[in-house]
Amino acid sequence: MSREAVTAAHVDSSPPHAGHGAHADAAHHGPVWLAHHFDTPAQQFDTAKIGMWVFLAQELLFFSGLFVAYGVYRSWYPEMFIAASRQLNKEMGATNTVVLLFSSLTVALAVRYSQVGNRKMTGRLILTTIGCACMFLVIKFFEYKHKFEGGLLPGRFYHPHLEHLVHGSPPLPDNTGSFFSIYFMMTGVHGIHVLIGIGVLIWVWIRNNRGEFSKEYFTPVDIVALYWHLVDLVWIYLFPLLYLI
Amino acid sequence: MSTAQHGHGLSHDDGAVHAHVSSVPFYIAVFLGLLFLTGMTVGQSYVDLGKANIVLVVVIATMKASLVATFFMHLRWDDKFNVLIFIGSLLFIGVFFAYTLKDTDRRGERDPDQNVHVWEKTGEAAPGGMPKKEHAAPASESGGSALPGAAGMTLPQH
Repeated sequence: MSREAVTAAHVDSSPPHAGHGAHADAAHHGPVWLAHHFDTPAQQFDTAKIGMWVFLAQELLFFSGLFVAYGVYRSWYPEMFIAASRQLNKEMGATNTVVLLFSSLTVALAVRYSQVGNRKMTGRLILTTIGCACMFLVIKFFEYKHKFEGGLLPGRFYHPHLEHLVHGSPPLPDNTGSFFSIYFMMTGVHGIHVLIGIGVLIWVWIRNNRGEFSKEYFTPVDIVALYWHLVDLVWIYLFPLLYLI
Repeated sequence: MSTAQHGHGLSHDDGAVHAHVSSVPFYIAVFLGLLFLTGMTVGQSYVDLGKANIVLVVVIATMKASLVATFFMHLRWDDKFNVLIFIGSLLFIGVFFAYTLKDTDRRGERDPDQNVHVWEKTGEAAPGGMPKKEHAAPASESGGSALPGAAGMTLPQH
C-alpha cells in the first residue's frame, strides 16, 4: 500500500467541518465523534468502557500496596493503631465520607442526564460534584493542619505535642510515627486522586458546555464518572480503617 | 450498560449505544442505602467487639463498595467482561494480602520443619535455629516471642 493511499484515507475519514450528532457526509461513515477505526458507536463505547475498567483495576492494585502495608503494621502493632487512631477526628472523617458519597450520587445523576441528552442538568450536576470534591479537600486540609500542629507526622518526623493531643486518649507508643506514615500516604495518595478528579471533571464540564455530548455520545461523562466512583470506593475503605478502629 | 444484543455475536442491531437509564429516585435510594451503612459503621465504632471489629468494618465497607460498583458504576447492566476485570483485580489483591500476611504474621515463630527461628523484622532465618540464650528454658523464650501480636513490639510501659 502506498503512502499516498494511507494519507488519503486518513484525510477522507476526518472531515474538518463539525456537524455534531449528524451523519456528516457520504464519505465519512458516521458522526464526527465516531473515530474512523470503529464500525459503530456501540463498538466505540464498549471499547472505551473496557479500557477504563482495566485502568480502574490497575488503580485498585496500585492502592492495594498501601492497604497491605496497613494490614501488616496493624497486625504487628494493634494497640498502637488503636491509640493513634484516637487522634484522628471521627466527625471530620464521617463528614468527608458523606460529602464523597453525595458527590458519587451527583456524578451518577450527571451520567444519567447525559444519557437522556439533558445538557443543562448534566452541567449542574458535574459542578455540584466538583464543589463536593473541593469541600472534601478543604476538610482534609484542616485535618492535616491539626496533625502538623500536634507533631503527628510520619516516621522520624513524629514528635507529639501533648497539649495538642485529644483529651482522654490512650498514651501514644514511641512507634506511632509508622501509623502516621501510613495515614499520610493513604490519604495523601487518595487526595491526589481527588485533585486529578477535579481536573477531569472540569474538562468534561467544559466539553458538555460546548455541546459535544448527546444522547448518542456521552462516553467521556461516563468514563470520568467511573473514575470518580473509584475515588469514592477507596475512601469507603479508608474511612473505617483509619478513623474507626 | 450493555449494548444491544451483547453476547449474541458481533451483530448489533443498529450499532447505536443502548445504555441502561436508571431513574433518579433509584439513584437516590442507593445513596440513602450508602448513608445508612455509613451510620452503621460509625455507630459500630462506639461498641467494642474485640476481634470482630475489623471483620464487621470490612464487611460493611464491602457492602457499600458493592452498592457503588453495582449501581453507580453500572456493572449490573454492563458487559460481563468488565465485571470479570473488576473481580479479577480483587482476587489478586486477596492473593497479595494472604501471601504477605502469611509471612509477616508468622515471623518470630519456630518453623517446625526446618527447626529454625525467623528473625521478627527481617524475616531471615536465625543461624542455629534460635538466638543464643545460654540454653535457658525454651518454654519462657517461646512464650515471650510466640505471641503473634507481640512480635517486634516496642511499646513503652506507661
